[in-house]
Amino acid sequence: MLFNTLDYILFLPIVIIGYYLLNAKYRWALLLIASYYFYMCWKPEYVVLILASTLIDYFAGLQMAKRDSKKKRRPFLYMSLAANLGILFAFKYANFFSETATNIAHSMDFMVHFPLFDFLLPVGISFYTFQTISYSIDVYNDKIRPERHLGHFALFVSFFPQLVAGPIERFSSLSPQLKRPQSFDYENFKNGLRMILFGLFAKMVIADNAAPIADVIFNDPELYNSFNISLGLFFYSFQLYCDFFGYSLIAIGSALIMGIKLMDNFNSPYLSVNVADFWRRWHISLSTWFRDYIYFPMGGNRVRKMKWIFNIVAVFVISGFWHGASFTFIFWGLLVGLLYVIEMTINKALKIRTEIKPFSANHLLRAAKTFIIISFTWIFFRSLTFADSWIMFDALFSNGGLDGKTLDISMVLWLTLAGFIVLDWVLYNKRFDTWVGRQPFVLRWVLYAMMIFSIMVFTGVEEIPFIYFQF
Amino acid sequence: MKIVKHIVPRIFLLAAILFATSYIYTEYLYEDDLQEHSPIINTIREIPLETDILYVGESSNIMYAEDDADKRTISEMLAGHYPSLTVFDLSKRASHAGIFKTFLAAIPEDKEIKTLVMTLNIRSFGANWIHSSLETPLAKNNVLLGLEHPIIKRFYLSFKAYDNDNEQVRRHNMLAQWDSDELIFPYDFPYANTNEWDDAMAATGIKLGGGKIDPVTDLACHYIKAYAFQIDTLTNPRIQDFNEIIALANERGWNVVFNLLGENLEKADELVGKDLLFLMEQNHNLVVDYFERQGVTVVDNFSAVSNQYFIDQDWTSEHYTEEGRSHVAGNVAKHLRIFHPDAYQED
Repeated sequence: MLFNTLDYILFLPIVIIGYYLLNAKYRWALLLIASYYFYMCWKPEYVVLILASTLIDYFAGLQMAKRDSKKKRRPFLYMSLAANLGILFAFKYANFFSETATNIAHSMDFMVHFPLFDFLLPVGISFYTFQTISYSIDVYNDKIRPERHLGHFALFVSFFPQLVAGPIERFSSLSPQLKRPQSFDYENFKNGLRMILFGLFAKMVIADNAAPIADVIFNDPELYNSFNISLGLFFYSFQLYCDFFGYSLIAIGSALIMGIKLMDNFNSPYLSVNVADFWRRWHISLSTWFRDYIYFPMGGNRVRKMKWIFNIVAVFVISGFWHGASFTFIFWGLLVGLLYVIEMTINKALKIRTEIKPFSANHLLRAAKTFIIISFTWIFFRSLTFADSWIMFDALFSNGGLDGKTLDISMVLWLTLAGFIVLDWVLYNKRFDTWVGRQPFVLRWVLYAMMIFSIMVFTGVEEIPFIYFQF
Repeated sequence: MKIVKHIVPRIFLLAAILFATSYIYTEYLYEDDLQEHSPIINTIREIPLETDILYVGESSNIMYAEDDADKRTISEMLAGHYPSLTVFDLSKRASHAGIFKTFLAAIPEDKEIKTLVMTLNIRSFGANWIHSSLETPLAKNNVLLGLEHPIIKRFYLSFKAYDNDNEQVRRHNMLAQWDSDELIFPYDFPYANTNEWDDAMAATGIKLGGGKIDPVTDLACHYIKAYAFQIDTLTNPRIQDFNEIIALANERGWNVVFNLLGENLEKADELVGKDLLFLMEQNHNLVVDYFERQGVTVVDNFSAVSNQYFIDQDWTSEHYTEEGRSHVAGNVAKHLRIFHPDAYQED
């Protein structure tokens, strides 16, 4: 079930009404049933993967808690990691490794074919496996006490608003909220609806209308001149952002109506002053996950410079691989990691201040620079093969002039995107719900009216699922 | 009480926004959406107020061979047999009864139609077509043809309230159905389902002169994928679609004729053999019997077109050369004499 479907629009109010009508003691059961139903709407049989992940981590958590030394806990941590990463490997990466092995064998004149599997990638597998892995590691490190109630734990793993594309929550933050008796709070209700409205606008009006433009450019870059390719790339940057930002807002809003606060996942990333700042503002729940569970354990920045560079680049390469089982994603991660390191080194050498006055000319210039750099990296993120990336780069820099085919971009898209950019600017370091709540009544309702009108009338109608669902 | 006072004006405000949205959309934007997403509406609007025969078809009523001297479609040839009647064509590529039923429901009630002739394509009952990736755009194109208020239809379109599975899911469902639907023969048959049969054909291949000829093997596999199924009248969605069309026709007082399209039985026999013919024949008998029992006239062209009159020799289709189209149209025309006895003439 996708958030931008009629199914979800009917599902969510039913769950919310049931949630508040039910005795607080049993709400976890309702949410658990709703979450499993939500997941099973897509491919019922894949629910066994969540169940397996849940049962193994539940068991591993309890076993680790019984043992006082890390050494004794370690086998259970390994069991949890092996199970979760094993599921992830089998369904997401097996074909990639199989294809790669076949290609390597062929290049060495061994005509063997490693088997390919006709699996559908289970939606959200990268998200819920990471969430449960964080639980096991936290229990192992004695940061949290394990959950003893299987139902509560199953709900932590499967809570429907963030099940398939995050935000990736920590047990210490989400689980207590799921257990706490939440009474209806009008402020949360209002703010939740505001987040959902803005999320639907970002996804359905901006991302889904920008997608066909990005698609034509990425599908046939040779046909367009450099100016139009740049425009296509510009729209892809906003498609990607609005798609995932919109999803996150709907997830956060849906949970907030039930009194559950999920972490913010974006903070005006295209206004970042440098690449490092960008990764603090883009997919925050994943960035912090990588920071806490990979970067810090590798030593973080408290190591020699070369090791620090290695740590940074390694984390980004892993992040690239997390996004997709292809060499273009791995290269994208490598590229971003190198850009991160290079920029940090230059900033340090030239003593460039990272703290700057928001909305100053300096901020805008540096934000523009960061946006351009990041947009270039999206070429590898979006392309299926290196050859496709190369064609795109080649066309971008060599199809000069303004001749050739031009993109057909509607005035509606320009206007709504301009509106979104202004809003994103205003929301720099702020949240939409609280910001809009402080605005005068008329301005607030004009904004709502414009969003509702756009969602009802100007929504893109191409079949474009949330991009991050495929990860 | 305070909260109620707070909420009530906002509910009214929201209602006003929705009302204004609906008004602006219906008055100024709906028609553009119709033209962009459901251009078939123009053909529906062009149906004359008094139409004797409405011919509804898919690509079989669009395609012709480049070297055909007579490039008329089946419906045009049919019109040639009834020169005094108004024959109107409502065809769309890749469509089937599930799509046609929406077209028909969208025909305004003031249009008087005497006889509805609709193609009945055996392949459209199989998993290969039911789970085709073309289904999503076809279903999307139909949303705005619905009978609901324009803003409701736009809402459905925006919030994907139609059969919107993506290509990957459809392919998965197709493979799953080919696995789960058991093929039952009255004699021993080595393959339990379509997948097994297809795999065996792909592995064995068609050997002409000793070697395995891949394009021919591919075609044989296509025939298995397209025709190796058995219709279950209780669960097949196409049966349900045709039933709904019959109900609609009865409600509107239309005579109903199903034009059961000819399939390339010779090619099926040559490439795959009698086992596939058995299934094709079984499905053919079932649909003819099923719909005739409901009082529908079924024009049986199933085996009426020989191999040489099929345009596509490397694919499964119902695209005929002029001889094939003429033969099919002639058969339909003869059967229509029961509804239009005085208007018929030999072409």
